Amino acid sequence: MKKKMKINPILKKELMVGSRNMKMSWGIFGFNAFLTLIVIFVMMILNANSNIDGYDFGDLITLFPVLGCVECGVLSLVVPIITSGSISGERERQTLDIMLTTPVKPFSIALGKLGSAMMLVMIYMVSSIPVMAIAFVLGGMNWGALLGLIVMMLYLGAYVGSVGIFCSSVVKKSIAATVLTIVIGIGIIVLTSSIFGIGTSIKAYYQTIHNNSISYSPGALPIILMFNPYTPFADFMLRSMSSYSIYDIIASSGKMPVILTAVYKAWIPVSVVLNLLIALGFLKLAARNIAVTHNRK
Amino acid sequence: MLQIENLTKRYGKFLALENLNLHIEKGEVFGFVGPNGAGKTTTMRIICGLLKTTSGSVFVNGIDALKQPDDIKRAVGYVPDFFGVYDNLKVMEYMEFYGSMYGMSKKDVDEISEGLLELVNLSDKKDAFVDTLSRGMKQRLCVARALIHDPDLLVLDEPNSGLDPRARFEMKEVLKNLGSMGKTIIISSHILPELSEMCTSIGIMEHGRLIANGRVDEIMQKSKGFQPIKMRAFAPDYEKEEEAKEHVSRILKEQPGVTKVNFTEDEILVSFDGDDKEAAVLLKNILEHNILVSHFYREKEDLESLFLEITGGQEDEKKDEN
Repeated sequence: MKKKMKINPILKKELMVGSRNMKMSWGIFGFNAFLTLIVIFVMMILNANSNIDGYDFGDLITLFPVLGCVECGVLSLVVPIITSGSISGERERQTLDIMLTTPVKPFSIALGKLGSAMMLVMIYMVSSIPVMAIAFVLGGMNWGALLGLIVMMLYLGAYVGSVGIFCSSVVKKSIAATVLTIVIGIGIIVLTSSIFGIGTSIKAYYQTIHNNSISYSPGALPIILMFNPYTPFADFMLRSMSSYSIYDIIASSGKMPVILTAVYKAWIPVSVVLNLLIALGFLKLAARNIAVTHNRK
Repeated sequence: MLQIENLTKRYGKFLALENLNLHIEKGEVFGFVGPNGAGKTTTMRIICGLLKTTSGSVFVNGIDALKQPDDIKRAVGYVPDFFGVYDNLKVMEYMEFYGSMYGMSKKDVDEISEGLLELVNLSDKKDAFVDTLSRGMKQRLCVARALIHDPDLLVLDEPNSGLDPRARFEMKEVLKNLGSMGKTIIISSHILPELSEMCTSIGIMEHGRLIANGRVDEIMQKSKGFQPIKMRAFAPDYEKEEEAKEHVSRILKEQPGVTKVNFTEDEILVSFDGDDKEAAVLLKNILEHNILVSHFYREKEDLESLFLEITGGQEDEKKDEN
């Protein structure tokens, strides 16, 4: 007998409830309207800077990184808003207790909430394809780049969503959880960049003193940047728009051991796997918090 | 069915439950009575697997609630005192959602839900959005939801709190039906007379301890000893009200069987350990001391009086200990 695949009940319910909510429709409308405005704005600038009467269609390729970054920015704000209310919202509605009296595990609850956020990211992305297509049809981008962008967005959605769910399991109020998610996100970016920046400066200083030369090897320091969830996205954009990658930038500063060269060349998969493992850690912590809160009075 | 042994729960320094022992047979409708903070909700949450214990054991149908949390969740249905709703979810979808959490197929959930919604008088509301239902309807829906997986034990925490009299009556009827169907049910409530009508046995809790426990008829029998006499009396020999009160109180306390005399605003409450004949002798004796009595009657036996008497007594004991 054919066995039916069981969908996570929380994911199923969230999708059903979410699709009936006018907020989702308005969100998709607002998102696409914003992207359209960006396209118009970029085209106006290109037109103004163009030497010919009309557009130099080759320049329209710049729409891709602009729209990609805008999508990335919008989703980095929207996903925390959605997920940060996921657990705290259940607590506020007092439905979490009932959920926990069922055999569903706290991790499944967290996973279901993340799944619904990911589905929303997917809906946003798919709905924006017509706008994005302008960069493809007129700018000469290929569909592989669009697919890559969708994968990147889903990865970022999973990361930011996991942080959001974790914050939602820690903080009682949804608004506080949203703020905490954004603070943690910015904190990770600032922290990794700062450590990298300071480390690089110190290393450059010592190498200059000892070798009496300004050239130095970055060594393993760039690995810290792999923990910044946005660097795979940056690498993807670089690769899509040019023949450069993050590896090329690192390699240009000095020689490196073979292993590090291999790691930096595979920046996107290595960083994505690392960050997804961190996201999994956040989800596990969220699941633990969901279970532990019920032992407090 | 339910076996609780030496159950203790601490929240830091606060002792919520102290060596609680309770045994409930299959098919019993057990009422938990007690003031706020007595430990009723804590006990119920432990039974449902929502709380861990400090020490002690809880077994439901032989399932260890502490060591087999997954099994216990299939054996118990829980109705909390507050019913939270999801916007944009219909009654049947709500049932399907919880059914799917127990791994049930849509077909099974639909079939079972039809029967359960009929049981709680919500058959005509199955296509309504949950957030549009009245509070009483929501609470009955919550009972249906808790029964979706056919649990051995149904736990209801203050199911009538916040309901209007009609909704309370409807809920009572639903619970009576469930009781007559042989479901084992635990209900906590502050509305004691309602519990006595619905329950086969009751337990009175205070300060995390079970201070009385037994079948309703047994407890009622006990409560006969806690039927106070209410009377209104005047002492014409005394002009000042305070002196008159003092005189009446002294005469009453001198009488055999009188254990306590309390003056309310317009009545005297006499705790009297004796039957109706002895109460008549008490009245005769008072009258012989030139005390005029305008009314004299015995409180009808009910759980409310018993509860107040027992918990009040415990308070006195506590004070004495201190």
